[in-house]
Amino acid sequence: MIQKKICLLGPSGVGKTSLVKQFVEGIFSEKYLTTIGVKIDKKVIDLTIEQVQLMIWDLEGIDRYCGFQPKYLRGASAYAIITDQTRSQSLVEGMEIHRMVREISDIPAILVVNKSDLDVAWHWTENELNGYSKEFVRSFSTSAKTGAQVEEMFKFIAQLTLK
Amino acid sequence: MQQSLIQALGIIDCTILKRESNRQFQLLHCNEQWFYALAPEAIGHETFEFAGNSPFLEDFFIDAEDFWQIGNDGQIQSGIWTEQSKDRLLRLEAIAAVAKGESYLIINNLEVEYERQQNTLQVARELLISNDKMLAQHEYIHERLDQVLRQNQTLQSLHEPIKRVIENAEFGVIITDASITPINQNPNAYLLLETTDNEFEETPFEIMIKLFKHQCAEYERVFDTASRWHGELFWHKPPYSSKWLKLALYPVKDANEKVCNWIFIFSDVSRIKYLMQRNEKLSLYDNVTSLPNRQFFWQKLEKQIEQEKPFFVVYLDVKQFKQINELHGHQAGDQILVELANRIQQCLSESDLCARIGGNEFGMIISGTNDQTICSDLVQRLIESAELPLYTDSKQKVQVSLSLGAAHFPSDASDSEELMKFADLAMFSAKKGSKSKLRFYSKALKEESMRRLELENALRKAIDENQFELFLQPIMNLATGVITKAEALIRWRMPDGSYTSPDQFIPLAEQTGLIIPIGKWVLSRAVEMVKVVLQHQPDLKVSVNISPRQIADRQLFEFVSKVIDHSGIPAQNIELELTEGVLIDSYDRVKKLLEQVRDIGISTSIDDFGTGYSSLSYLQKLPIDNLKIDRSFVYDLEQNENDKAIVLAVIAMARSLKLGVIAEGVENQYQADFLLDNKCDIAQGYLFSKPLPFEQFCDLLIAQKHAKKT
Repeated sequence: MIQKKICLLGPSGVGKTSLVKQFVEGIFSEKYLTTIGVKIDKKVIDLTIEQVQLMIWDLEGIDRYCGFQPKYLRGASAYAIITDQTRSQSLVEGMEIHRMVREISDIPAILVVNKSDLDVAWHWTENELNGYSKEFVRSFSTSAKTGAQVEEMFKFIAQLTLK
Repeated sequence: MQQSLIQALGIIDCTILKRESNRQFQLLHCNEQWFYALAPEAIGHETFEFAGNSPFLEDFFIDAEDFWQIGNDGQIQSGIWTEQSKDRLLRLEAIAAVAKGESYLIINNLEVEYERQQNTLQVARELLISNDKMLAQHEYIHERLDQVLRQNQTLQSLHEPIKRVIENAEFGVIITDASITPINQNPNAYLLLETTDNEFEETPFEIMIKLFKHQCAEYERVFDTASRWHGELFWHKPPYSSKWLKLALYPVKDANEKVCNWIFIFSDVSRIKYLMQRNEKLSLYDNVTSLPNRQFFWQKLEKQIEQEKPFFVVYLDVKQFKQINELHGHQAGDQILVELANRIQQCLSESDLCARIGGNEFGMIISGTNDQTICSDLVQRLIESAELPLYTDSKQKVQVSLSLGAAHFPSDASDSEELMKFADLAMFSAKKGSKSKLRFYSKALKEESMRRLELENALRKAIDENQFELFLQPIMNLATGVITKAEALIRWRMPDGSYTSPDQFIPLAEQTGLIIPIGKWVLSRAVEMVKVVLQHQPDLKVSVNISPRQIADRQLFEFVSKVIDHSGIPAQNIELELTEGVLIDSYDRVKKLLEQVRDIGISTSIDDFGTGYSSLSYLQKLPIDNLKIDRSFVYDLEQNENDKAIVLAVIAMARSLKLGVIAEGVENQYQADFLLDNKCDIAQGYLFSKPLPFEQFCDLLIAQKHAKKT
């Protein structure tokens, strides 16, 4: 079976770990527990043509306490930038992280706008969002809490890794 | 023995492996409880090969192998990772080490360390996220309100979504008119301050204004100078209620830069304060720069005063910091502040203090001196250090300049509030211009600032009451004696009929932003004049001066082209004049503007040429049409050989770059002859005509037309 590494990147508190937990274990916890360093989870995805074992590298949120560490992207076949639709700044920071990754790698990337179960509390217009999304292969609106679009998002990224 | 020693000490929960060959290791010491979960292949073997169960470790081996191959003593670390064993999570870190020619792999179990770090980071990140959310909400509502109120819409006509946001906001919003009388206070403002609209109770506005006045030395200056303010206020309602409130106070200005409203946006940040108090360091220290915060600074200031020893209090403001945040993002802005804080501290001695007392403001206490020179020398060193280039994470170069104000204890004031107020006032007066500057508080400075305020108010009135006039100064072709151009020059007609010189009010207009409406008026009026003038002389150009602040106005080009389109005059009859300084300070923006105006047919001149730092490279790169030789070189042409040489050099430079050249300030025939002899055939100055009121200028054109006919 083919194995592929993907990375989840984004500012802290956007729900990277929760997305993985929902996808791998099907559970969600309301309590925010910050990640330190890296956690790797594996899950096999059946893509009809073949099975892929995704190695999901959940990286510590990038903020003033933790800088971007390019070395963790080594060998990755795709990555996702995770943002939080209740915080405007998370998209600005997400785009900045995307720009930093682009300096060292040209692997495909998707944009994930998480916490779709909560009211939108950022103020990006549709046009602005479309502008940002254009820099990615595709964007998803997910909820780690309800599971909305989570499976679809990981399945899509698995397909991306095969291209 | 080594193993037993490690076990006996029991201080490190680790596994130590000696590398034998690629992926082959000898087990020297191991905590079986967790290591076998990570590498079950090691069970029962002294030497084993990693089977690749841990993708993180596999990835680390790539760097580790390189390191072991090089073989120099030292170590590299993998960083923390979490590994899921059957029944628990392992928090690990791997170290590749080389000692005395032997290679080792050490894996530390950092469970305790991880938990400790997670607790600290948890608080710090929760704070970061709460702050982030609140700031974004404040910014959003401020921007939208600013937009709506600027357009002179009444609050009744606020767009429905904004109305809803204000009504349901988790923060208090108070909107006042220009005279700071409240016209709207949202439900949450009442709720936060535990008051009602009962006439016997204080309104949220009354409470906030009182808090601001009593707790902030900047109170008067903020309202007098229509500045923004951000900060925290402590509210207490006896017997039990108290809250920390974060207040953002903004003036809303109309198109004429006149304040039409004030917006107060405030939130309850007690929870954030509570989180901070869980950590003593966070409650008195700023979590971005790690410097002492505003509360700490005030405590220290009070203590310092109690000791009755002389000192200076210095108020430092980072100029144009808002633009840095807008251009590079808040995270980069924070990095810049951290670096600046480090640089400031390196300039201070141990007995001095530096604190972050506002978004882009720092307060300093320079202890034990009465001597202004000591204070200004120190500040000079600090400016030099701060002005060195700073770099963001994304390698963007940023340069800052500082406004600094200093007040002395006890000669200027003997209580903390007055001292801070005076230092703040001195800082504000140092804001003039883009360069770093220190001002000391003095009575003269206070009077100067009063005069400035009066002049500013008079200037605002002048805009409202249309007290400006535009004069035209003819620009002559020296060979033919014909007027080919005219420079539009503003004059301020006082109610008594006298005129105030532009030198007196343009710098203030530039500093206060009033230059934007004034500049728009000048351009519109010049275009109106051109429309009339063309009837007398169809090829006459009128040149209009553009100031640095106008260049920074993103709507400038749009405005210029709209005014010209609307008037129906050919764009070729307008010329824009920019000073050299503007080219250097805002090269990219100027380049874009010059390209845009050239596209529609407007020509450009570089004014006061020779007084700035002219560089051939920018002259070549920018679409410029003319250089105007500064009057200071023309003035002394007859006597001064250096000036002659400079004028000749400018003419030669202009010719080689295929640019036109215009001499300013020509006052006698010698100057005119010299210029003509040396192929500078366009000039202006009192020899030909002083700037004239429009009607007189038209008379001159008509006379010239008649003279030609005869």
